[in-house]
Amino acid sequence: MRSPRSQIALAIVALLLGFLVVTQVRSQAGGTGLEDRSAQDLTLLVANVSTRNDQLRGEVADLGRQLESIVAAQARGDTSAGQLRADLVRIRIWSGVDAAEGQGLRVVLRGPATAKVLADLLNELRNAGAEAIAVGGVRVVPATIAGGAPGAVSVEDTLLEDPLEVVAIGNAATMTGTLTRAGGLVAQELATNPGLGIEVTPADRLLVPATARDLAPRVAKPRL
Amino acid sequence: MNGVGARMRSIPTWEITLFVALVALGFLIAAQVRSEMPRVQYTSQERAPLIQTVTDLQAQQKALKAQILDLRSRITKAETGTQGSDAIARQLNNALFQARLSAGLTALQGSGLVVQLEDALQVSQSAGGADLLVTGRDVRTVVEELWLAGAEAVAVNDERVVSTTSIIDIGGSLLVNSAYLAPPYQVKAVGPANLYAQLAASASWVDFVASRAGKNGIRLAIAEPADLVVPAYAGSVTIRYAQPPASPAPSANP
Repeated sequence: MRSPRSQIALAIVALLLGFLVVTQVRSQAGGTGLEDRSAQDLTLLVANVSTRNDQLRGEVADLGRQLESIVAAQARGDTSAGQLRADLVRIRIWSGVDAAEGQGLRVVLRGPATAKVLADLLNELRNAGAEAIAVGGVRVVPATIAGGAPGAVSVEDTLLEDPLEVVAIGNAATMTGTLTRAGGLVAQELATNPGLGIEVTPADRLLVPATARDLAPRVAKPRL
Repeated sequence: MNGVGARMRSIPTWEITLFVALVALGFLIAAQVRSEMPRVQYTSQERAPLIQTVTDLQAQQKALKAQILDLRSRITKAETGTQGSDAIARQLNNALFQARLSAGLTALQGSGLVVQLEDALQVSQSAGGADLLVTGRDVRTVVEELWLAGAEAVAVNDERVVSTTSIIDIGGSLLVNSAYLAPPYQVKAVGPANLYAQLAASASWVDFVASRAGKNGIRLAIAEPADLVVPAYAGSVTIRYAQPPASPAPSANP
């Protein structure tokens, strides 16, 4: 390379090359998916993740107290069977293995309810903090899937009759607010499913049965 | 051949260097343009602090989840070493182990499937562009199909699907359990050896693939690893409203 012109050309190309390499590496490394979100989406995200983090902090505090209680009982030479039983009851209710009772919502679907409408409703109830849900008297657990044609929707091989009743235990006010807000799930489903009727009624005392499924894995092994 | 060799030797070294650099330049420009294309760049000034806040919240969440898993592990160890009547303690500890296993509070390992979903390559903000993005409904469909195929545990980007899991859309991303997830979404499932065969035989799965991958161009890939780990749920198991029924109700499992 002899001439100054060629040296300048090569320098410019090298400069561009370096700039593009850095830009490309940064765009690949920064793959959080946040860069292309609008301010409105980001605000919604901050609100949601913040709320969930508060719940996680509550869980950390609860677990910390639980551990302290067990350790203190052991230090005194006491039995911590009471703590074990309380833990067992809580986990079994939470997972669906045991029945539950409490305040919540009764949602009645009348008319051409589809499996999709039901699946969306269950998803929204969980998002609103439902602690236990039953559809047509069947406890909803992770593997409970709504299927079938409109008017012949079933869960866990149980055909659901019209009107279809969903019962959810949780904070009744929060769940009602989430479902019935303007532009919320109820408004969306009513707008897109002509002939469908949805009634949402808070209740002080509801009963959700235990699942009939065996939730224990048969093939997969625990990794402790 | 000698002619060509002689001609190659006559090309100055700097020209070859420039040629290689130009080829690399062209490649990088094409890659950069392509990576910018699917996304809309927002320029409002409030976005930078919001992005930083979300990033900070995600980091806090990661630490909180690690704390939860650590505390659960320590509680399990403490409970296992509990004093009192040996028979009662043993019975309660066994029951707790089973309850945690059934609830998704224990990681599970075995053969399984990984289904990966990514936005279509030609994503744009033009009319109809939403069909080219992976939505919460798509991920829920994959999760449901895996359960129907016989999965024993499912996770989305390592967020275990449990009794309280919701999968909701937030502006082109997903909120699963407590976590904000961005594509690509990997749905992991452990289950019986015939999990894939069961999935592939499902008419609703075939319809989903034909519609979303075939018609809309969503990128869908499936891997069948011999050994897979679905992590434990690292969220809240606190119940505030659900209590044991006042009158005893039948339980399915002992």
